[in-house]
Amino acid sequence: MDTIKLYLRSMKMLMRCQMEYPRSFLLNTLSQIIMQGGELFAVMLLIDRFQRIGQWQGKHILFFFGMMTITFYLVECFGRGISNFSPVVQSGALDTMLLRPRGILTQVCCYAVDPRRLGCIAIGIAALCTGSRACQIVWTLPKALLLLESIAGGFLLITALFMIEAVTCMHSVKSIEMVNVFTYGGRSTCQYPIDIYPGPLKIMFTVIAPFALTLHVPAAYILDMQILNLPGWAAFVTPLSGLVSFLIMYTVFQRSLKHYRSTGS
Amino acid sequence: MPYIQVTSLQKSFTLRKKRPHSFRRDKETVHALSDVSFSIDKGELVGYIGPNGAGKSTTVKILSGILTPDGGSATVNGRIPWLERKEHVRHIGVVFGQRTQLWWDVAPMDSYKLLRDIYRVPEEQWKKRLGELSEALALEDFIRTPLRQLSLGQRMRAELCGSLLHSPELLFLDEPTIGLDAVSKLKLREFLKEENARNKTTILLTTHDMDDIQELCSRVCVLGHGKLLFDGHLRDLLSRYDTLQFLNIRYASPALLPALPEGCAATHRDGAWQIAYDPQKIQTPTLIQLLQSAGTLSELSAEKQSIDHMIARMYEEMHL
Amino acid sequence: MMNLCIRFLRPLSPHSLLRRLKPYFSVFMMRFRIETQYRGAALGGIITQVFFGLMLIALYTTLYQSAPQTVPLAQTVTYVWLQQSCFRMLLSTDSELMQTVRTGGMAYEMCRPLSPYGFYYTRAMAQKLVGSTLRAVPMLLIAFLLPAPWGISLPAGVWQLGMFLLALFMGLLCTCAMSNIAMAFTIRSLDNSGITSAMNLLLVTFCGNLLPLTLFPDKWQKFIRLTPYAQLLDAPIRIYTGEYTFMQSIETIGIQVFWTCALIALGYFMWHRNQKHMIVQGG
Repeated sequence: MDTIKLYLRSMKMLMRCQMEYPRSFLLNTLSQIIMQGGELFAVMLLIDRFQRIGQWQGKHILFFFGMMTITFYLVECFGRGISNFSPVVQSGALDTMLLRPRGILTQVCCYAVDPRRLGCIAIGIAALCTGSRACQIVWTLPKALLLLESIAGGFLLITALFMIEAVTCMHSVKSIEMVNVFTYGGRSTCQYPIDIYPGPLKIMFTVIAPFALTLHVPAAYILDMQILNLPGWAAFVTPLSGLVSFLIMYTVFQRSLKHYRSTGS
Repeated sequence: MPYIQVTSLQKSFTLRKKRPHSFRRDKETVHALSDVSFSIDKGELVGYIGPNGAGKSTTVKILSGILTPDGGSATVNGRIPWLERKEHVRHIGVVFGQRTQLWWDVAPMDSYKLLRDIYRVPEEQWKKRLGELSEALALEDFIRTPLRQLSLGQRMRAELCGSLLHSPELLFLDEPTIGLDAVSKLKLREFLKEENARNKTTILLTTHDMDDIQELCSRVCVLGHGKLLFDGHLRDLLSRYDTLQFLNIRYASPALLPALPEGCAATHRDGAWQIAYDPQKIQTPTLIQLLQSAGTLSELSAEKQSIDHMIARMYEEMHL
Repeated sequence: MMNLCIRFLRPLSPHSLLRRLKPYFSVFMMRFRIETQYRGAALGGIITQVFFGLMLIALYTTLYQSAPQTVPLAQTVTYVWLQQSCFRMLLSTDSELMQTVRTGGMAYEMCRPLSPYGFYYTRAMAQKLVGSTLRAVPMLLIAFLLPAPWGISLPAGVWQLGMFLLALFMGLLCTCAMSNIAMAFTIRSLDNSGITSAMNLLLVTFCGNLLPLTLFPDKWQKFIRLTPYAQLLDAPIRIYTGEYTFMQSIETIGIQVFWTCALIALGYFMWHRNQKHMIVQGG
């Protein structure tokens, strides 16, 4: 409870910091909306030309795109400290955090927020709603809860993937661009349903970085479609893979903090 | 048992140097601390000096729980800092002179509120402490101004307040007076003395400003090449090196300098002479008489060696 | 304005021309050396770009299965590889330069006895050239080694290859002119994030990186082909794949020359105005 209070207080303060530069904030939010709008535009042009991808139609793709966009940018917005970890190490903020009687991950989460990403999330919500309406989804309570569970699972998964980069930062200060394959690559790949891809990509994003399990399986259930030959009830279980990924990375993160403390800079 | 007990502390780092035109890297081990032992009692105010790269920050980082040493032991109030981090840091405050722990775009007051929540300081206690500190540090004028608009001196005062809000028993100060003007420096020293006397706060101060040490610290530790070279009173340290004095003279009419006894050195500048000598070997009046024998003096002044010069000589003699 | 034209048209003997170009050459070589130091970063970039290439090809392969297109799949695959490997040519952030602008070090740079426009143009060119060559060569090697549906096809013919390289070089000149215009905006407003990201979006969308221009609605393509964005990579790639006849290629290079000259003139004018503005500011 106490931790949540601290988090909310930090968020309030960081928002106030952002509002110290209102012009820059507005311009940036606008350009973020345009950027994500551009991505949506490209997807729509693709749908316009090809009409369908595998078993999916344009309206389905919009739904998938919306879910991925919302989830990814929720992390980029509220987990900014983790998704952009290398400045935390380089500026020495991590040292300051070690000097305070609180958990490091808590403090990293409290360190930064990027409200400009709210624009991207809005684009995602718009795509999701449009897709949902076009598919004429009948929203029931289980479906609504599943959507929330799926987004929460995806949030944890993406946070875990960003933590890989954070861990490499602590070891060598310079972050490795390669990890982007899982984070940004995962976003670009998995904004389309996983079953349109060949084997290796399928395995990569089902087993190694389970975007398919956290987002696609529940989305297919909500859309009354089938994906990966899984039974219907599985959709309620698979998003938990996000939690599992997070717990694994949480352990690794804590361990590498110990290592950081023994090398420092 | 002393408040801080450090026994044969060791810490080394491996540096990776990139070779030009090659993907291979050379490894090099640097011994930041090779065998350091000392103890500090509660309420002491200790100066910790040494040339750049001597291992001062490493010691501070180990004692504050940021770094884990390779060997040896250290306890602060019976706790091992790097093993009991959360419990330990609750009782310490740290100020890095070149880094800020407050939030850049908001007023110090907002930062203090957040620090209150981070350290879980009860509201009543926080209010009382903030009142004391803001009076002692004269924060009233700028406590509601965004940090980035404050001058360096104001910022340092705000910073100090931030690290003392949770009433730490132990305060680490890393070059707190760097870049401050004379007035700010004096005020800061005054405050530290008072804080030390009133709340029995133990203070470990690292600095390059010898005036800080002279004004504040009864005890000084000198670190060099990862070893403790001196531990004791500043006066004792200086008496070892306070062996040089200077005479500045000018002759009324051009004259040749007489032959000087051994141990004296003369330098000539703009028609004037500066003679460096050891007053224990040759007495000042004797030297003046000798100089007057060569001609009438139009100017005569004596000068003691500055403390910075002495420290520089000390470092030189210790091959630092 | 008159003054500007005179400076442009001042007659030069070959010898003095060489002497006046020498500093720019040094700037180029300096940047060249700095860029080649970031080989480690280049490796990470290559892996990421290859991944994106493979993912896009997988996507298009599936798309083509459900709706065959007039543009053959192999051509789209080639398009993707060339886009991915030359990606660095389009977008390359010069963080050091941004830092100079933000900290006000720019006024100092303006005092050099060189044309600031030329200075930054050369700098951008070296950066883009080295950055993209370091990535493109290994990436294209990988793309050539990949099996049939995944790999890049050879150029349509010998003259196409030659024309492709020429057009690519023109594209480089054009993109450098564009980044100098962005730079002029940045110096003006001192805050780059808003305008640059909007400009980058236009760039990524309309040069065919987000989606090959060949897959845009057919009606739009006639217009997009003429924009400066299409000159950077899209035009050279179309020559490479043999989509254009010889005459069309010549025409394309003509369009490229036009845009390069126009953008350089615009950029030069903007920098010139900035410079005046700054001198006034300095008092």
